[in-house]
Amino acid sequence: MADVNITLDGKKLTAPAGTLLIEACKNAGIEVPSFCYYPGFSLQGACRMCLVKIEKVPKLQTACTTVIGEGMIVTTDSPEIHQARKSMVELLLGNHPLDCPVCDAGGECELQDMTFAYGAAESKYIDIKNHREEQQWSPVVYFDRPRCILCYRCVRVCGEGMDVWALGIQNRGVASVIAPNKEDHLECEECGMCIDICPVGALTSGAYRYKTRPWEMKHIDTTCTHCGDGCRTTLGVRRADTGIEIVRGDNRDKSGINGDFLCIKGRYAFDFVDNEQRIKQPLIRKDGRLTPSSWEEAFELIGRRFAEICGREGGRAIGVIGSSKTSNEENYLLQKFARVVLGTNNIDHHRTGDFPAFARALAGKLDATASMRDVFKAPAMLVIGNDPTNQHPLLAWQIRNNVRLHRSRLYVINSQPIKLRRQATAFAHIPAGSEAKLVALLAGDDSVLDVLVSENTPREALLSLRDRLRGEQNLVIIFGAELRGEEMARLVKVGSAVSGAKFVCLGDYANSRGAADMGLYPDLLPGYLPVTQGKTFREEWGGLPDAPGLTIPQMVDAAKAGQLKALYVVGANPVARFNIDPFAFAKSFVVMQDMFLTETALIADVVLPGANAYEKSGTFTNTCGDLQLLRKAGEVTGTKPDFEIIVRIAERMGFDVRKLVPFGGGMWADMGQSRGAQSGEADRHSVWLEAHGLETKLSPFDPMAILDEIQRLVPGYHVSRRTLLSGTDQHTRIGGPGILHNPELIVPANDDLFTSGTLGRYSRALNSVLENQRRKPVETEVAAD
Amino acid sequence: MCILRDIAAIAKGMSVTFREMFRPTIVENYPKGPGPLRGARFEERYRGVHVLQRDENGLEKCVACFLCAAACPSNCIYIEAAENTAEHRVSGAERYAQVYNIDYNRCIFCGYCVEACPTDAITHGHGFELATFNVSNLIYRKEQLLAPRPAHLGANAVFNRAEVEGGAPPVVAPGE
Amino acid sequence: MKLSDQFEQRFHAMINHYPTKRSVLVPSLLYAQDELGYLTDELIAEMAQRLDLTDLEIRNVISYYSMLTTQPRGKFNVQVCTNIACMLRGGEEILDHCKRKLGIGHKGTTRDGLFSLEEVECIGACSWAPAAQVNYDFHENLTPERMNEVLQDYRRKVHQQENC
Repeated sequence: MADVNITLDGKKLTAPAGTLLIEACKNAGIEVPSFCYYPGFSLQGACRMCLVKIEKVPKLQTACTTVIGEGMIVTTDSPEIHQARKSMVELLLGNHPLDCPVCDAGGECELQDMTFAYGAAESKYIDIKNHREEQQWSPVVYFDRPRCILCYRCVRVCGEGMDVWALGIQNRGVASVIAPNKEDHLECEECGMCIDICPVGALTSGAYRYKTRPWEMKHIDTTCTHCGDGCRTTLGVRRADTGIEIVRGDNRDKSGINGDFLCIKGRYAFDFVDNEQRIKQPLIRKDGRLTPSSWEEAFELIGRRFAEICGREGGRAIGVIGSSKTSNEENYLLQKFARVVLGTNNIDHHRTGDFPAFARALAGKLDATASMRDVFKAPAMLVIGNDPTNQHPLLAWQIRNNVRLHRSRLYVINSQPIKLRRQATAFAHIPAGSEAKLVALLAGDDSVLDVLVSENTPREALLSLRDRLRGEQNLVIIFGAELRGEEMARLVKVGSAVSGAKFVCLGDYANSRGAADMGLYPDLLPGYLPVTQGKTFREEWGGLPDAPGLTIPQMVDAAKAGQLKALYVVGANPVARFNIDPFAFAKSFVVMQDMFLTETALIADVVLPGANAYEKSGTFTNTCGDLQLLRKAGEVTGTKPDFEIIVRIAERMGFDVRKLVPFGGGMWADMGQSRGAQSGEADRHSVWLEAHGLETKLSPFDPMAILDEIQRLVPGYHVSRRTLLSGTDQHTRIGGPGILHNPELIVPANDDLFTSGTLGRYSRALNSVLENQRRKPVETEVAAD
Repeated sequence: MCILRDIAAIAKGMSVTFREMFRPTIVENYPKGPGPLRGARFEERYRGVHVLQRDENGLEKCVACFLCAAACPSNCIYIEAAENTAEHRVSGAERYAQVYNIDYNRCIFCGYCVEACPTDAITHGHGFELATFNVSNLIYRKEQLLAPRPAHLGANAVFNRAEVEGGAPPVVAPGE
Repeated sequence: MKLSDQFEQRFHAMINHYPTKRSVLVPSLLYAQDELGYLTDELIAEMAQRLDLTDLEIRNVISYYSMLTTQPRGKFNVQVCTNIACMLRGGEEILDHCKRKLGIGHKGTTRDGLFSLEEVECIGACSWAPAAQVNYDFHENLTPERMNEVLQDYRRKVHQQENC
């Protein structure tokens, strides 16, 4: 758009036409205070804090609702404006209680800041404040009415941003009040966005209320460990008896891929961390009973048994099952451990998306994957299968807001009437299981129409959908686990006919994509290289087993036949997930490391207490392929990160850990010796590393040492390390030839907003919300505005 | 006559000594003096061991706002907050300090915490006998810092009925 | 929910008249209130479904406008203006008189369900202050005596209908 010349406080500026005055001020570095204005949501003009003087306009104008015009001369601060803002603050404080010492928002309250900046020391209002009791609207949302300043941010974020429309405004004038959708309580997605966006302490979080104060916590940006979307979350931590306690999850730093967004899991479900059922001591099965023991004893036993079995029967007799919730470094290390230390390709994980087939389908097209940020910017989107609102909340947020803010076109094809259909330009409701037929239709095969047509979706609708899709450009195609193997390849082929098309293949867990990228497959090395081809890895590691190993079902069969003598399970629960007969492993030596005694503990001979993603550093790759940093936030005494456990087991097996983890390289440079040999430099450097949750690469337990190797060897991971360390996401490319697997090996997690696999079972917040919902009748979807 | 001059000087000196012998003492006779303070006397402004005050109902004034901890230049105040419930009400507001520790190894008695307190909950008392052979004894817990309950409280058992019925907890005098 | 044919006719005329569906909300609520006496939960759910709104949004609108109510009212809603013009000419005395006469307060309803009383802001009849509005009819230049007659007329009307 054409640029417009304006004068702000005497500075001559140009800004694109259509810019709001408040945004133009912000870009020019002039702060105009506001409560009700929030970028990305509809304008409200309710708080009147942003009043500015525009020349030739008799009265002060609100900067948040004024669009700049040619030649506009604006003053943003003068005694008149200051007085106006002072009066506004005084009015707001007319009924706002001055209970800042007990208010949760104290210290990060916008009204508090404004009062310091503009407020008067005394008020001329002498009436008694109108007190109302605090209300609990849901297990996680509390509302303190007198504190509310009626900026309507919560109403807009709930409706426009989340498409839930659970909050409204009742009455008018001074009697106005924010109201929940069910008279005295909320029935919603419990995302907590209203709490996050509230400028004061009117909406407070049930998980954090009255626990501490903002400045008492240390705030650590890390990546959420729940679904595959990889939201950035800020964990507020403080010291505790048992290590470091996480007291709050929120979205303080809004620069992550999720912008303003976090769902209930990212915001509240960090509390599995200090669940009392957490294992804090290694357990060894003695006389059929898991008995507490020392780490030393456990490592000794595992090292001895693994070495014995390897020596007697070779690596074939050991199976390894990895996790979709451990970091890339741990996954890489685990498969390297299996292949190099144990000498076996018997490694697998719980697969939730067919990434090897995706790599195969995309072969040669390196730029054909969309990042999470691309989804927000695409001019058109096609969603086949899955239910992003429930299973990929951030993806759904990106899609919704792309439609709302950029008028992007959304095409939804699903066997269920999923909620995203409300934003859709076209929605095709197809019979369950006919996604592959639909791909054939898109490819031009009209003979499948009879199967797809239903009373909800007539023939013409399907054909017009196809025509419209063919006319799109830069389409982002998102598909769930409904499409696998050959069917996915066909979709990628059809989609690639659209110019600039990009794809997102959905996997369910926080690091499902990372586990696949890091080669937790019996026939694939990291980067989707078939085991027979991995020349670089073979040279680097000094030899590899050639034959593909066993998948999880094959491991079970081998164990039943007595061929699998040992099983090493890292952070997974195969017994529950694959319905394995617990007696299959009766004769095998089973080692498991996890946070809780899951069903798999029934078959375990040794249980090691592991750490979760909030208690380690490393990286996660989200389902779109965005690589992000994990920073250590919490700590529970007695547990160890999976990385350390794997290295220690290798060490006990008599393996040279330097060959497993290339640590120690660059040590002198890191210690600051090359920069003038000032003794203080090394200290300062280590202080910096410590402050950023990193370790010097002096120890074999440093994940960054493995990240070096990953970036060197895994195709698609050559991203800027410096940008990554600064906390910014980096899009990786999916490379390698890939492979076709049996589609039945993929078992979707089917988590919804309030469940999260094993973690969800141990989260008080999620359980309280679920329990609360069970008490009420099932609510049908609410209508949109 | 230098001997005479010396004797005169001694006599003059001793005369001051003998005169003072029969006057009342000016120095405080601590710790051998009378009373619970053993002869120590204080100005009102003296900044000694802190006292956490109670309100007229016997509830704690502290609402665990952490402002004292934020104001503390030597970072010696540690607080854990918890929520008051109808059954278990400790302070007058929504929140109370579940744990309130002052580390007297670090405290410099500057009084910033007292100035920062919005509810006048923390004040300086006159306790000063902090010396100990064990540094861990210098970390004072809330129970050691709390003011005793007001005497009238037993008569009016509206608040904290359970506690009143169970008998008030023994009060540890500050500094002991 | 079943509504009268007249309502349906008006509703359909309006729904085609406005560019967005929710524009129909306020007039339909008024028509429905005239028929039902007040806005029932059932009606709110019905309107939400017809206009693609949430129940909450409809309640927000109802709570905003003082002439919409979710509580049952009497057959005749006596609305006495006490804004400046009426106040200066004795509007408050009329209101007090009505309170005594009917034995109810602001927003109250008589036990026989005949009258409700409400103190309202300006009804636009300042030239003939003090004024009151009963349902849709205006009564102007009131005195306590005139008010008695007005109320009596309504009572008589009901008796006549009952006797017919």
